Amino acid sequence: MIRINTYWSIVAVCCLGFLLAACQDPGPSSRGTSAGLNVAEILGSEDHDGFARAIRPQSFEFPRDHGPHHAFRTEWWYYTGNLQNDDGRRFGYQLTFFRQALQPDSVPRQSAWASNQVYLAHFALSDPANDNFYYAERFSRAGLGLAGATAEPFNVWLEDWSAGGSGDATLPMQLRADSGEVAIALELDSSKPFVLQGQQGLSQKSAEPGNASYYYSLTRMPTTGQISIAGNSHQVTGSSWLDREWSTSALGPDQVGWDWFSLQFDDDRELMYYQLRLKDGQPDPLSSGVLVAENGKTTPLGAADVRIDVLDYWTSPHSGGRYPARWRLQIPAAQLNLEIIPLMADQELQTSVRYWEGAVFVQGTRGQNTIRGYGYVELTGYDKEL
Amino acid sequence: MILWRAGLRYLLRHPLQLLFAVIGVALGVGVVVAIDLANSSANKAFSLSAEAVSGRTSHQVIGGPAGVPEEIYRRIRLAPILFDSAPVIEGLATVTHKPGLTLRILGLDPFAEGPFRDYSPGIGRDSEFSRLLTEPGSIMLSAATAGELELRPDMQMTLQIGGKQRSVTLVGLLEAPDQLSSQALRNLIITDIATAQELLEQFGRLTRIDLILPTGAAEDRALQQLQPYLQPGVDVVRADQRRQSMAQMTRAFQLNLSALSMLALVVGMFLIYNTMTFSVVQRRPLLGALRTLGVTRHEIVRLVLVEALLVGAAGTLLGLLLGVLLANGLLTLVTRTINDLYFVLNVRSLSLTPLALAKGLLLGLGATLVAALVPALEAGRTAPRSVLSRSHIEGRGRRLLPWAVAVGSGLMVLSLIGLLLPGNSIVVGFICMFMLISGYALITPGLAIWLLKGLQAPLKTCFGLLGKMAVRNLVAGLSRTGVATAALVIAVAATIGVGLMISSFRVTVDNWLHSYLSADIYITTQGDDFDAGRVPLEPELLARLDQVAGIDSITRARHLRLEDAHGISELFVAEIPEESFAGYWFVDGDRQQIYREFKNSRAVIVSEPFAYRRDLKRGDVLPLRTQLGEQEFRIAGVFTDYGSDQGRITIARSLYQQYWSAPQTDALGIYLQDTAETEQLVRQLRNLAADIQPLMVYSNRDLRAASLATFDRTFAVTSVLRILAVLVAFVGILNALMAMQIERSRELAVLRAGGLTPQQLWLLVTGETGLIGLLAGLLALPLGIAQALMLILVINRRSFGWSMGIQLDPSILFQALLLALIAAVLAGLYPAWRMAQTQPAQALRDE
Repeated sequence: MIRINTYWSIVAVCCLGFLLAACQDPGPSSRGTSAGLNVAEILGSEDHDGFARAIRPQSFEFPRDHGPHHAFRTEWWYYTGNLQNDDGRRFGYQLTFFRQALQPDSVPRQSAWASNQVYLAHFALSDPANDNFYYAERFSRAGLGLAGATAEPFNVWLEDWSAGGSGDATLPMQLRADSGEVAIALELDSSKPFVLQGQQGLSQKSAEPGNASYYYSLTRMPTTGQISIAGNSHQVTGSSWLDREWSTSALGPDQVGWDWFSLQFDDDRELMYYQLRLKDGQPDPLSSGVLVAENGKTTPLGAADVRIDVLDYWTSPHSGGRYPARWRLQIPAAQLNLEIIPLMADQELQTSVRYWEGAVFVQGTRGQNTIRGYGYVELTGYDKEL
Repeated sequence: MILWRAGLRYLLRHPLQLLFAVIGVALGVGVVVAIDLANSSANKAFSLSAEAVSGRTSHQVIGGPAGVPEEIYRRIRLAPILFDSAPVIEGLATVTHKPGLTLRILGLDPFAEGPFRDYSPGIGRDSEFSRLLTEPGSIMLSAATAGELELRPDMQMTLQIGGKQRSVTLVGLLEAPDQLSSQALRNLIITDIATAQELLEQFGRLTRIDLILPTGAAEDRALQQLQPYLQPGVDVVRADQRRQSMAQMTRAFQLNLSALSMLALVVGMFLIYNTMTFSVVQRRPLLGALRTLGVTRHEIVRLVLVEALLVGAAGTLLGLLLGVLLANGLLTLVTRTINDLYFVLNVRSLSLTPLALAKGLLLGLGATLVAALVPALEAGRTAPRSVLSRSHIEGRGRRLLPWAVAVGSGLMVLSLIGLLLPGNSIVVGFICMFMLISGYALITPGLAIWLLKGLQAPLKTCFGLLGKMAVRNLVAGLSRTGVATAALVIAVAATIGVGLMISSFRVTVDNWLHSYLSADIYITTQGDDFDAGRVPLEPELLARLDQVAGIDSITRARHLRLEDAHGISELFVAEIPEESFAGYWFVDGDRQQIYREFKNSRAVIVSEPFAYRRDLKRGDVLPLRTQLGEQEFRIAGVFTDYGSDQGRITIARSLYQQYWSAPQTDALGIYLQDTAETEQLVRQLRNLAADIQPLMVYSNRDLRAASLATFDRTFAVTSVLRILAVLVAFVGILNALMAMQIERSRELAVLRAGGLTPQQLWLLVTGETGLIGLLAGLLALPLGIAQALMLILVINRRSFGWSMGIQLDPSILFQALLLALIAAVLAGLYPAWRMAQTQPAQALRDE
């Protein structure tokens, strides 16, 4: 997923603002520091010399590819999920770790703090029953073991937030995060094989060769564990989704943002689709996605296969950004006709980059059958200043 | 209206008197304002730099001499602890291409900084940030500092850190959000924490960890939560407390300066008093005439006060100007002393606050009013009938004399009682000193008359009638001479007191160095000063030393900083052979027993300032934070030490090793088989180290000289104050005596008419003023010595915990006498010249 490429550029810029409070302050009062920054400009100005590029499909190897790929500039471990407690109260969560290389090569240095790798993590929890949305953001260098990632055993962490395997095994995965207000401790298994996105895992994001990522997903991860909100803890079960993606460059100069959908239906199928938006407001022809069958078999989707209509909008009282807030998504070839409805309106993260990442409910029809489900939607580039 | 014009005319007709009074006030106010400005600028610079360095930090994790292991920070960050923390490494560096400039290196982790500190480099290019983190030797500076260093981004400079040369590259400029932060950023090198560790060679260690903990009850909870992640030897202290104890360190020093500057103002007050009294005495006929014409007492009082205020205002304004000019020079000296004695402080600019100037203004005008009050009331009290006789006022003056003597004696007794009371308040010490001075000033006229009467007979024998006349004139003119003499005495005594104190101190330090420095050659790593925490010696160098012929033995030492809630002290880890131990001066106790304890038991010896500050004595127990947790050490002895005002704890190397890790070495004492070879060996040792590490190699004599040079530098500001006090005194004498003689024009004219030759007139006038000078000089001696004793025994002890021997350097006493005499004779020259030039008849007609 492209998702977060911008974050990185902006993280760099934000931390550049060395001691800007906004970098750390996770509270809703945090100021956005991305003011006036243009995603495409930042990406365009980057010098990719020395980094590997995603140019042709490659074979994935596990557990190696669960770990970091330091030859690439950017990488993420992106967990989202919909959960419910024993009473049927629903929650959504997001826990994301981003890795960014500041330089392609690391100079050998004596200080244990020295590192060319930087980590960022976002943790969010949606509590639609109380209309509460919690989020927090953390940064750290990889030096001194403050943050990092390893393939064997699988572990990615930023201070005490982490996602790791169980002992030497990658699965089930253990997720831990605590923002003070809210915390999660979840165990995620996988009921389906890895889904390689794009062309055998090579996901082209814009026309220039190399503006692509390696991308795989675990689209259905039965989840159990605990969440706690303001000291009240809940036993929860549900289903999570993991996106793994690494790249050096992605966006083209005309692209301004994207709408990204990951949906899990009650017929044990999943849909992922991202729609890249161009400056003129039109969907980019490179938008793409995948349909995952019960047995894990995948059907790729192109821009021509999917039609999305926005049914409603929501204006953020925090940023003033106007986000789409309800969609009709149709895939005629798969006989899919869906309506996607956010579980709550305000799931905007006022982090160093503002975006909307929220739990959604989906209902509709596949052919004659009624289907329902839950999922996550990410909306970027709606920030007023962008 | 006429009244005011009369007053104005009077002032204008006595321009010299007016001028000197104005100069007197100006000098007094100038000195006080200058010291105040220098002090407040230094304080401001301190608090700004402390703020820049600590930001919104509420608590700090501090460690032992080696700092805080970075592992503790990792543990805290990886723990489910939810308050903010940030690692800090601090160090000092000098710039090769700007000698004399010391910069503070502040190593930070940008990712942890957000909640702590506010300055930020320019947003826009992420390459700065990335370079700061990934390129070794990358630094950031404020634009102002970069400008001063003539650096632009991407340029390199060479820093001297702990004697090593390090090349750094400026990768970007810090942007301060406001003026205050931009001042705070001055002389600060911001680097990534990894770079700081590399520049300062502090691998694995942090200077401290900054924390922002909640307040109130939550604070205790947070501290408890933190506890499991700490380890022995590591402690949490409140940041404000720490800052305060740092600021406290210089408080005593600054208070001393302020008190000394007040002396100058007191002398200035006497000048005003003198001028106004004199003008009242002189205008008695006029004032009496005015009273008969119906002018009320109140109006007369007001007239005199307003006149005084005019003089005071002119003097004060001039004084403010002078103060600002002086302050620039004094600031350098004050900062120097703070740097030598306490901590590195960069004060670049004088901070001229309206408050400081307003204070000076108020002080100047207030002092003027107080000083003029007595003469004004005196003038108001004038009964119209008794006007015309001066003898009336002289008579009154003489009647008051016993009272003045009684009150003066009372004040002096009170001052003595105050000093004998237990307690160690510096302020009380100074109050007692000022009481003593005022008391002495009050009895001065009485003493003067008594002395003059004694002189009458011998002078008559020597100089005949003129000699007797001179004395009688002075006794008769008591209302004028008394106050002038008192002012002179105070001013001269101040110079004696401060002078004796400094010379006693210097002699003591010199003797102490003689005794304390027992090795023949000293080697230490290069640094700006002899500060604790300097770079250790390379092991290879130590190995090479073993090969050098002619060395009898070597002792190793390490200077470390030990910080706790009370402040920072020096922990001196040393091997001290018994012969060298003999060079230590102990306050009490048996040296041999102290040595046995120091050598063989869990005991340390502490310096006198340390013991004084912490209220400790021999036999007490001192808890120290060791790597095995807090441990109690017995104080085997308290030794005299002038090396560190912060206080020094000396611990045997073998004992240190048990409670901390094996110490490195940063200083060596080398004992030679044959001391005649010292110079040759010094050269040899310098060559020996040339390819390893820059070293300072001192012979015993060189080190003593270097130490005394530091001492002199430290007291430069005090010496300057002393000179300023002398200057004020000088002007005071000129003013008082000249006025007195000019006022006598008529009387002298009568003498001339009666056959006194111009030569005789010269003799009479300069003889009279010289006599007063001599008298004041003599009278100043006891007060000066008393002041010196108070400074040595009370003020210095209470301020710094230093005790020192008392040396009554005769040359200082002699200088003071000479000063008084020369000023007094000079004061007589002009009036004598004027009178000698004037035709007696004209003088008689004029007046």
